[in-house]
Amino acid sequence: MSQNGIFDTTINLLGKSLDLRAQNHNRISANIANAETPGYTPTTLSFEKELQGALRSKGEATPSVTHPRHISLKGDAGSLDLVQGSVVEAPAESPGLDGNGVELENEMGKMVQNQIMYNADVQFLSKKFAALTLAIKGSF
Amino acid sequence: MDFFTSLDISSSAMSAERTRMNLISSNLANANSTRSVDGGGPYKRKDAVFTATPLAGSFSNAMNQANRGLARVDVTGIVEDSTSPRIQYDPTHPDADAKGYVSLPNVNVIEEMADMISATRTYEANVTAAQAAKSMALKTLELGR
Repeated sequence: MSQNGIFDTTINLLGKSLDLRAQNHNRISANIANAETPGYTPTTLSFEKELQGALRSKGEATPSVTHPRHISLKGDAGSLDLVQGSVVEAPAESPGLDGNGVELENEMGKMVQNQIMYNADVQFLSKKFAALTLAIKGSF
Repeated sequence: MDFFTSLDISSSAMSAERTRMNLISSNLANANSTRSVDGGGPYKRKDAVFTATPLAGSFSNAMNQANRGLARVDVTGIVEDSTSPRIQYDPTHPDADAKGYVSLPNVNVIEEMADMISATRTYEANVTAAQAAKSMALKTLELGR
């Protein structure tokens, strides 16, 4: 039984994923903005592995309640909330003569992928809420 | 963390690319200007200097882990190309020297056209990034509808 009431781990996971993808979008925007800046090295937010790890180790990293006056962390997603992702430099294999490591096509591809995944997350989240509404009201 | 950061970054780049476009227009328009107003000889090709500026303006931004390393782009200067002018033999030209040679601007029209395409494409990429940020933000507002 989840301590999180009616909101399960999936909803927390989707929320976290939205958060991280929004951050990643900021990062990709910065790379595209600096596509012509000499010496700029593009960065990207890597979080998939960390998110997967947090999901697998659920419960392990959450502080346990050993005293009745301890305030428990909400639900199973204690370690999910701590996922921040890591910023990694991702320069092109052959940077230009001005030392700029941005490949515009690459960044556009990453942006579209990130956007599609973001939209998918929003859609999943919408469906989760719709299912909850259905369970509560018996109809949409 | 919000989508306005992304819009901020994209618009800074659009403004920088527009400045570059203005300079390219100026270079192309003056590709044959043999005089400058200050009497300094032929027009000299101008170029913008782009600098990646970290987004650490405010305290909260500097403290924000998520915004670390994010950079907008600013035009920090406009430099004149100091390469030597093109020399052409044309004794009938009003600005020809005693030997009949004219100093023309160091503008290479083909290079400018290539630069123009590059500026246009980068501008478009930034417009797309801004549109993506907008659509993602609006999509979030649909949550729970």
